[in-house]
Amino acid sequence: MSGTTPRASIAARGSLTRRLAALTALWVAIGLGLLGWYVVRKDEQQIETATDARLTSLLDAVVAAVAFDPLSGPILLRSLADPEFERPLSGHYWQIRGPGGTVATSRSLWDSRLHPPLPPAEGIRARDMDGPRDEPLRVLERDVTISGRTGQVPLTVQVAVPRDAMEAEITRLRQQMILAFFVLGSGLVAAVALLVVWGLRPLRRTQEELVEVRQGRRLHMDITAPSEIAPLVAEIEALIEQNRATVERARHHVGNLAHAMKTPIAVLRNAVEAEDLGTVRGQVATLERLVQHHLRRARAGALAGSAGAECGPHALASALATALGRLSASRGIRLRVTGEEGARVRADSQDVTEMLGNLMENACKYGRTQVLVTVAPAGEGLVGIAVEDDGEGLEEGEDGVALARGMRLDEAKPGSGLGLAIVSDLVGLYGGSLSLGRSARLGGLRAEIFLPGRVAGGRYEGPD
Amino acid sequence: MRLLVVEDTAALAGQLRQGLSESGFAVDMALDGEEALHLGDTEPYDAVVLDLGLPRVDGLTVLRRWRAAGRAMPVLILTARDSWTEKVEGLNAGADDYLAKPFAMAELVARLNALIRRANGVSKPELVFGEVRLDTATRSVSRAGAHVRLTALEYGLFAYLALHAGRPVSKTELTEHLYSQDFDRDSNTLEVIVARLRRKLGEGLIETVRGQGYRLQPASA
Repeated sequence: MSGTTPRASIAARGSLTRRLAALTALWVAIGLGLLGWYVVRKDEQQIETATDARLTSLLDAVVAAVAFDPLSGPILLRSLADPEFERPLSGHYWQIRGPGGTVATSRSLWDSRLHPPLPPAEGIRARDMDGPRDEPLRVLERDVTISGRTGQVPLTVQVAVPRDAMEAEITRLRQQMILAFFVLGSGLVAAVALLVVWGLRPLRRTQEELVEVRQGRRLHMDITAPSEIAPLVAEIEALIEQNRATVERARHHVGNLAHAMKTPIAVLRNAVEAEDLGTVRGQVATLERLVQHHLRRARAGALAGSAGAECGPHALASALATALGRLSASRGIRLRVTGEEGARVRADSQDVTEMLGNLMENACKYGRTQVLVTVAPAGEGLVGIAVEDDGEGLEEGEDGVALARGMRLDEAKPGSGLGLAIVSDLVGLYGGSLSLGRSARLGGLRAEIFLPGRVAGGRYEGPD
Repeated sequence: MRLLVVEDTAALAGQLRQGLSESGFAVDMALDGEEALHLGDTEPYDAVVLDLGLPRVDGLTVLRRWRAAGRAMPVLILTARDSWTEKVEGLNAGADDYLAKPFAMAELVARLNALIRRANGVSKPELVFGEVRLDTATRSVSRAGAHVRLTALEYGLFAYLALHAGRPVSKTELTEHLYSQDFDRDSNTLEVIVARLRRKLGEGLIETVRGQGYRLQPASA
């Protein structure tokens, strides 16, 4: 009876592990790269500072020992302690320039000269230059004035050490850093990948158990899952239980029907042999009733799964009025639907149509000239749908009888007599109710069903 | 009265043909929706019995296409689907009545009679022509209070004239509505039937309108 629902479409796209690993790798590469660059940069500065500090003390030593001889120019009174300044072209040099192009140098400079100093300025100037062997040098320069016998003499003192050692140290440091950060980064990515695989293991286990449940190798999901996954497992377990219950109910139902049919069939077989037409008719009627009853039950059973369904009773009643108008065209009965067009009730539209159809058909059957359907709010989150006719109505105390299954109050009118009982059953399934009374407006029967719902803009307050 | 019965279940189709023929209808059968569409478009039926679950074209589509093409013959839907949702859908697609399986043949016949009567603008089941009374509900004819036994063809011809009382009905029209498609049609038999009816119901009842056919004077209450 209900339409087929489309199958779920499930397609795997990408992998969580790969996605997280890629993200981590990207972050680690950027983060560690920046950090590494910063650390190397800092260390370079530190090494340079240390080198400059040593140079400064050498410069101070030279300045302290310098003197000026008007004949030969600047001279160093005491040689420096470091023997490197004596070893030719060692890279450790000093050089003093005096006025008139006079120059004194360390022995290590031999007959070469350092590049001329920058123009005079206050304080110590640090610079990089190439030495006599084109080796990179770190040079400090300072302009000093000393007092000689001929008065104040301006001198420029330069002290140089090779950059090689410093640069080698920086390169070594950089390599070590890169290696360290690479190892750290790879480790991080691997750790994240591991973490994901390990973290997702409960999901994998859940899936394996589901497979087993589906294949019938186990009855229940029973795993101790982490708190993030436990609710999912619980939901799946509930779904399995619900499925099982549904199947069980269906099996029960089919069994009931089959067993209930066996007796009439047995009687039928004998009646056919005996050509007892009266009994055959009776048994066929019994079979018809059985089938009818079980079809209704099956419909009601389907309700359990149709949570969340809602529909507009006004539109359904209008469609029914048109249809019933065709059926009772010859009797000239006028069907009208009034009330809240925007009302919604929380029930499956087929079931509401079924309830209203039965009530309205009854009304058409028993009414004389008109049938009135009214949709109105009934307070407490309920919507009332009243079906009234201008027929005889029910006598006091007859409503109980009318509701009893299979009872018909007026045997002369056609119909199965199940109508009101079906309405009562269905409305009960939705937590609503059916009331029968006398119509104040039309004088006939007033049958009203109350269902959880709301008029436009209102809120549901009905039971869940 | 000529009927089109559209039913794809062979056993039920056979029963319907037999039961309805015994009740005096000329019955054409269609076993699928396509055949039904074709027959309904080309033959003048007095009513159609239509199953909904049909091969090729389903019953509701057949019905909608007929109505869209202006075919107005009464249609009774005969189906196992008996929820109100389905009834509403069928009726609002243009059906005139709805009967759920399982059903009793007598009820089907009664409903078809009522449909045909209503389609011809006759509201009461009993038609009176002087001392002759025709009860369409029980398909019985009486003359001066005494029951008259008629064959299926005799009844069919008389009922057709009665439902179209007041206007001359041609032999061709009578033939079309009295015989099913695969019946060997012979207009001479019509004259024989009319002669028998006149003998049974009174000579003056059925007039011969020269060149136009037969006519029954309108019923008076």
